[in-house]
Amino acid sequence: MKAIAILALKEAALIEARAAGTAEALEQVRIKYLGRKGLLPDIMKGLKDADVSERPAMGRYANELKQELAALLEKRRAALEKAAAVSAPDSFDATLPGRWRAFGARHPISRIIEDAIRIFDTLGFTVADGPDIETEYYNFDALNTPADHPSRDTQDTFWLESGQLLRTQTSPVQIRVMESRPPPVRIIAPGRCYRRDTTDATHSANFHQIEGLYVGERVSMADLKGDITCFAQRLMGPGVKVRFRPHFFPFTEPSVEYDFSCHVCGGKGCRVCKQSGWIEISGAGMVNPKVFTKVGYDPETVTGYAFGMGVERIAMIRYGIHDIRLLYDNDKRFLEQLAQ
Amino acid sequence: MKVPLSWLKEFVAIEVTPEALVERLTFAGLEVEGLTRIGSDFKDIVVGEVISVNPHPNADRLTLCDVATGRETVRVVCGAPNVRAGNKVPFAAIGAVLPNGMKIKSAKIRGEASFGMLCAEDELGLSEDHAGLMQLPCDIPAGTPLIEVVGGPDVVLTIEVTPNRPDCLSILGIAREVAALYGCRLNLPSIKFPETGPAADGPARSATHSVAGGLTVVVEDTEGCPRYTARLLRNVTIGPSPLAMRLRLARCGIRPINNIVDITNYVMLECGQPLHAFDLALLAEGRIVVRRATLGEKMTTLDEVERKLTPDMLVIADAQSPVAIAGVMGGAQSGILATTRDVVLESACFKPALIRKTSKTLGLSSESSYRFERGVDIGGVDWASRRATALMVAHAGAAAARGVVDCFPVEPKGRSIVCRFDRVRDLLGVDIQDNEIASLFEALTLTIVDRSKKSCTVKVPTFRPDLEAEVDLIEEVARLYGLDKIPSALPHSQFVSGSADQAPPERSAQARALRPGEPGVNDAFIRATIMCRDTLVGLGLTEIINYSLVSEKLLTLCDAARTAQRIVLPRPISVDQAILRDALLPQMIETLGRNRSRQIAEAAFFEIGRVFFRNDQQAYTEEEHVALGLMGPVGRTGYDKRSALAETDSFLWLKGILEALCRKLFIRVDERPAYEGQGAGLAFQELTVAAPPALYDLGCFEKNRAMVITLDGMPCGVFGLVREALRREWRLVEPVAILEIRLAPLLERVTTVPAAERLPVYPSVTRDIALRINNRLRHVDIVNAIWKIAPKELTTVELFDIFSSNEIGVGCKSMAYSLTYRSGERTLTDDEVNRLHLGLKDRLRNEISVEIR
Repeated sequence: MKAIAILALKEAALIEARAAGTAEALEQVRIKYLGRKGLLPDIMKGLKDADVSERPAMGRYANELKQELAALLEKRRAALEKAAAVSAPDSFDATLPGRWRAFGARHPISRIIEDAIRIFDTLGFTVADGPDIETEYYNFDALNTPADHPSRDTQDTFWLESGQLLRTQTSPVQIRVMESRPPPVRIIAPGRCYRRDTTDATHSANFHQIEGLYVGERVSMADLKGDITCFAQRLMGPGVKVRFRPHFFPFTEPSVEYDFSCHVCGGKGCRVCKQSGWIEISGAGMVNPKVFTKVGYDPETVTGYAFGMGVERIAMIRYGIHDIRLLYDNDKRFLEQLAQ
Repeated sequence: MKVPLSWLKEFVAIEVTPEALVERLTFAGLEVEGLTRIGSDFKDIVVGEVISVNPHPNADRLTLCDVATGRETVRVVCGAPNVRAGNKVPFAAIGAVLPNGMKIKSAKIRGEASFGMLCAEDELGLSEDHAGLMQLPCDIPAGTPLIEVVGGPDVVLTIEVTPNRPDCLSILGIAREVAALYGCRLNLPSIKFPETGPAADGPARSATHSVAGGLTVVVEDTEGCPRYTARLLRNVTIGPSPLAMRLRLARCGIRPINNIVDITNYVMLECGQPLHAFDLALLAEGRIVVRRATLGEKMTTLDEVERKLTPDMLVIADAQSPVAIAGVMGGAQSGILATTRDVVLESACFKPALIRKTSKTLGLSSESSYRFERGVDIGGVDWASRRATALMVAHAGAAAARGVVDCFPVEPKGRSIVCRFDRVRDLLGVDIQDNEIASLFEALTLTIVDRSKKSCTVKVPTFRPDLEAEVDLIEEVARLYGLDKIPSALPHSQFVSGSADQAPPERSAQARALRPGEPGVNDAFIRATIMCRDTLVGLGLTEIINYSLVSEKLLTLCDAARTAQRIVLPRPISVDQAILRDALLPQMIETLGRNRSRQIAEAAFFEIGRVFFRNDQQAYTEEEHVALGLMGPVGRTGYDKRSALAETDSFLWLKGILEALCRKLFIRVDERPAYEGQGAGLAFQELTVAAPPALYDLGCFEKNRAMVITLDGMPCGVFGLVREALRREWRLVEPVAILEIRLAPLLERVTTVPAAERLPVYPSVTRDIALRINNRLRHVDIVNAIWKIAPKELTTVELFDIFSSNEIGVGCKSMAYSLTYRSGERTLTDDEVNRLHLGLKDRLRNEISVEIR
């Protein structure tokens, strides 16, 4: 083996490298000359058997071959990549749709109920429950709404064969809770209610209410105002104001109705609030002493407030739903719009 | 309650804008629901006298009228049927604008020129009446501006009166409130009239039996009728009532009839006391008996309907038969006729519950019954009678017979209530002074009969039956003082009994979690339900909420077998909402179908809700359930949605959701045989005829495509594919997978606090095994067989491939499992694992008939 042969080999290698048109061909050239079993390692192995006078030149040429070929291969690879980037686009496409599955959506009714539970939780209210099928006693009598009294008129009732009824309000839960434990009591009770209303855009025979009750020593109307206002602001937004109007419910005295300032227009008047700036929400009041007497609480030592609210109504206001029937229609597109 | 402001102002001289009054009343508890402006200044509208009426040459229904307008006589084409020469009617001249915006121009109507318009009441915005021209009194000269006849523009408020305030169902009652709110004086109208004839028997209050001037009154039921008064008015002239009165009645929604009837209605609106007028000549023996109806008695009421009466109804009868249903409606036979000469004027007080019951039973309510069932002022009965009598004397030419029949055996004692000033401040949470409280009572004409440092005693007038206790007085303070002046207290958190972390020792939070709908505080269960809901949403399911009331058709479509345990409403409002649902699945399928019909091909829904049924003892039972429903390629991601949907896909996606949910709720999900069937955690059983109680059974499932879900060995639910025939009802062509399970057992372990276990120290080694098996053999059979012979080092068995091909052969499939071995004591060597794996393969061949590939 002569040094000159190595020079020839180098020339051949460089020519092949220049001729290689693809990354694979370049790699073939590299393997052929520089690979573990390639020609160059072969030469290096044969170096010890070569003529002593040839050895330095052979070593130098072999080194040159290695360095120049490696440099050329690198240069060619870069050039090919550059060319490839221009001519043949990469198949990787970052804009394809993602593959993770979507979340579902909670129904707006349960969303409102859960929000209410969470908000009142921070005030120490626990959640209470009661049956949908109630007795006349819990739904009416214990709530100071005797038979043959006009205050029953507003709650046209579904009676069952047994003489039981479908509760017209969540207020019976108040009675059940107070009967089961001594004061103080702080509960909210969400649930379904039923009234003989023909279904239309604003009425539904089947609807949801959230009941609230706080009984303790020296609970006052001021507490009711404070807590309802706190709830309103956390549910509808920090700027929401609450106003109270006197009203009548048999189981509270004094009784009030309360309105939220319109969260859409901020009280200036708009379509949602019918230009009034206020949206009627529901009723509340101080627990009537007659109710305390029924459950065995002493009205002289404890006072309390109670409130109720219609869940559908709040959902309709919050989400701008114009027809209550949409809430029971369960159209997937509608429900997904309201997913939060 | 409709309140014309012009009328109200006769009682209280207030100078406020209607808007300000609306605001004040609303915030004092008299919610004003509507404000209607009525009439106008009637510019260019005058009283016209119809001089002549001639037929229109080109139209049968039109007439040509010459009308004297005071200044001239003009030709008007008129379409009213009641136009007669000599009539005085409203005439709108050219240029006049009617309240409805119509502008009067000269016009040619069917070829005849018309220079103005003769008006009906509705065209003038005075009432709804469009029966004919408004007839004005004949003594008003033509040309008089209409405003001088009918008054200027008026505002009518519609006030929502709550059931506790019957006193406010009258102008007088509202006026009392206004007087209290504005601190002004209350002016009452005159009740003076001359009496004629011999002195009759004086008031016989202690008796139930009174006689006056040819009239006998016997009150048999003094409980039902605590007070009954009657006056006799002789020689009345029946005719129209004065125009002003008719207009007011119309504004309050009552149709004018004749002077006597109108006066009874007018006084009722004025003071809230319903009155009734009888024709004395039509009362047999001039006798009035207030009694219960007898069984089988019948009477035709003024609305010409024959009513069947029962002994729990109170009637006003003459010597022979009922002439009125007390407090509800008069009889057709005894009413005021054009020929009536002598009138008996009834003013009475009936027991509210009795009137309400009668009204409900008969399905008949009236202005009168509405007031009686809320309670009329027993102290105001005679005032109303006097007021009506005075009006009848003035406007019907009546001669009031001397004296009055007044059956009033027990005069109620006035109620006195003690009100503690501190109690007012405590309950309202406002610092209001003693004197201010007292002055609010006085403004309401509640007389303070006694006052000490700490309290005052007030006497309640008879017109405020709602004031029964101290708290009622506090309400009066609150609404007059102004709820807006009560401060909002800063909300504060307080933990009270019943908090989740203060559960009574005998009933842990977990025990309570088992009782859905348990009356009382049920915090843990409801919070667990929320967590369950969140999990399902996180798994990609959308929540639906359906009505609790469903149609029989839908339930029976899904399950015809269980009709006996359904709870059916005796009086539903429609067939669509007639039965309390005993399962969630029927509406789930229906909801999927409805969405499909709206071109929604893919949906994954869940509902958490109550179902209702009769239990074995026939008692009504309610239970919380969860239902799931899948439609379309929900389990597929991205762009893999087009390939056909196999039954297995739908079924297994649903199963996967259930398994994921169970894991989240700390329910063990494991295929090892130790946990199947009777073992702990989630497992499945074949769905057979013996379906678990209170669960939707076979009815809606495809045969051999459904399983019973057991939790800790207890059957709790079912899931599977919807029967094809049922799907067809909603044109659901692809497989639909549904599931329903009881919520309580699902939530049983939700309060579990997991314990941290040491993670494995030594590495695991995995070996695969591929089996060629007969299709009859199921995955569970293989897994069971493997576990049966497994060495203790085997930790998991996972199916990773399943396929069939020609090479595998007909009726067979290849299933490949990945088996993981690990020792808790040392690192297993390759040789050891190979030995374990080979041994397992050998034994598996003996265990089940498989070919190991």
